[in-house]
Amino acid sequence: MDRGNFARVLAFFLLPAVLIYSIFSIYPLIATIFDSLYQRHEGGPMTFNGLNNFRTLLGDETWSKPFWNAFRNNCLFFLIHMCVQNPIGLALAALLSLPRLRLRNVYRTLIFMPTMLSVVIIGFIWQLILSPLWGIWKMLLGALHLGFLFGPYLGQEGTALITVSLISVWQFVGIPMILIYTALLAIPDELVDAATVDGLNQWQTFFYVKLPLIWPTIGLVSVLTFVNNFNAFDLIYAMQGALAGPNFSTDIMGTLFYRTFFGNQLQLGDPTMGATVATMMFLIIMVGVMIYLFLIQRRMQRYAF
Amino acid sequence: MSQVTIKNLQKSYGQVDVLKDINLDVEDGSFVVLVGPSGCGKSTLLRSIAGLEPVDGGEINIGGRRVNDLPPAKREIAMVFQSYALYPHMNVEKNMGFGLRFADTPKEEIAQRVNEAARILKLESLLKRRPRELSGGQRQRVAIGRAIVRKPQVFLFDEPLSNLDAALRVNTRVEIAKLHKLLNATIIYVTHDQVEAMTLADKIVVMNQGRIEQTGKPLDLYYKPANKFVANFIGSPAMNMLDVEVTGKSEVRTSDGAVFTVRLPKSIPNGEKLTLGARPEHVSLALPGKGITGHLDLIERLGEIGYAHIDLPQGQRFLVEVRGEPKAVKGQQVGVTLDANNLHLFDSSGQAVTPI
Repeated sequence: MDRGNFARVLAFFLLPAVLIYSIFSIYPLIATIFDSLYQRHEGGPMTFNGLNNFRTLLGDETWSKPFWNAFRNNCLFFLIHMCVQNPIGLALAALLSLPRLRLRNVYRTLIFMPTMLSVVIIGFIWQLILSPLWGIWKMLLGALHLGFLFGPYLGQEGTALITVSLISVWQFVGIPMILIYTALLAIPDELVDAATVDGLNQWQTFFYVKLPLIWPTIGLVSVLTFVNNFNAFDLIYAMQGALAGPNFSTDIMGTLFYRTFFGNQLQLGDPTMGATVATMMFLIIMVGVMIYLFLIQRRMQRYAF
Repeated sequence: MSQVTIKNLQKSYGQVDVLKDINLDVEDGSFVVLVGPSGCGKSTLLRSIAGLEPVDGGEINIGGRRVNDLPPAKREIAMVFQSYALYPHMNVEKNMGFGLRFADTPKEEIAQRVNEAARILKLESLLKRRPRELSGGQRQRVAIGRAIVRKPQVFLFDEPLSNLDAALRVNTRVEIAKLHKLLNATIIYVTHDQVEAMTLADKIVVMNQGRIEQTGKPLDLYYKPANKFVANFIGSPAMNMLDVEVTGKSEVRTSDGAVFTVRLPKSIPNGEKLTLGARPEHVSLALPGKGITGHLDLIERLGEIGYAHIDLPQGQRFLVEVRGEPKAVKGQQVGVTLDANNLHLFDSSGQAVTPI
């Protein structure tokens, strides 16, 4: 194939993907970053503003307080997913891969089910369950003589974010489970047999043979969790509203962006400040993913069996 | 003493019996090869001895100890797997010493045993490498090394050469034979490759459909197959088979009238239908009219020898080993004569008919 022909073939195969990706992903991203460098004037054209929007967002207290609050909350949101969702997903995957387990497919489907439901439905169901008036959770705790543990979890500043995070964990625990389960299935049976002949019991086989082999998958799950958590918005919006109450205690980057960009109640929408928040979200996620790629993934080895 | 004795071993998966009344003695220091077509139960038998498969009946003794209820690690066995099953995340040294770590062996002893095994297998320079940095043959040696450091009573090999290329397979085969002599080890070895079986074994166990068909020294199986299955399975290319009828005290006749003199036991009456078996190396081409008659279809030339494929009128195919350049050409009518001293007769149930 000569050079000109090769270029044409290359273009033929790559162009559709490049085109779609550029229109729907690259262009909006670049446009957002550009918007964050401008200032909008009521009824007038936008003017170039340099990095002043960022200075305002991080330096002016009316902006920086909500921003850091949302950032802190978002970190906690992520931490809860990392410490609860992923270990539980790992444990469930390990249980699912037990050779003697029966009804494996039933469990797998049931645990994965919430992931497929709409976030709005999840939020609504849990609001009903946790309702202080007639929620089933209150009755359950009461029946167990644990009624003193009950509180209006979603309405208290100290508990709202943790509660919402745990609901999100409940919804998405199926994803780490499925990914890790697949990785466990890829480990050849003979390797487990070899470990058995070497005298390892099932726990030891898991910790010394299987776990080291699935670290790359756990790393991948962690990055996915990070990206999804810092892009999260819908569950908070569905359960706590755009104001992410009570008193912004469940406010995360996504909800902050929503209020800034589209406006809410007494706040007017501000596209350029919204773009600034969105750019910050992009930068945070990029830094996180970079840290993973350059510091963690390089030290991990993938194993082909 | 590390003999293995298996008595009346039974195993089934639901309705399917995969091992039917297996009885087997493996003497101390002997090399026993389990051979058979896929699905014959040879690997299941090996895994049962290892303790990786539970059995439904019978008894397994290793070194005079009943091991039925012991986990694999307590049976004093070591196993080499088909895919080698090396731990990908550990270097060679750790792979070999891994089992000992869990047996609470002191560190110095682990190091000493690993070095010893590495010396025997010439792996010293590779100790710090990971499995993926090794070639197939090297991985194979590490897998064997992992078995050696356990100092087992019995080595179990599950088709260890099938992942190697042809040249390496021959080499490794020789290595394993040497190792057997060197370690004076008791080895049970599973393969579907009869060349491996013939060259390595002190004793071959031919299995078929969960049953042992015959046990014996390699050449005994070759010269005195106990039944049609073994006759067919041992020897390559397979033995030629012809349907014949007994027509006299020491005479059988094929359906197209060729008559052969054979040694028959007295108890066989005239008219009895038998199967006559003759290996390609024990028959020769002749002029048409001699022996059985057929048409030459093709000659496979392997170099020093060749195999002439003869189509018989009954639609059967007969293979004849030829040396040099036969004059016959494709489609020509040829005769095939049999060597009366090297014929096998089987009755209708497939059992060998031996002259008394």
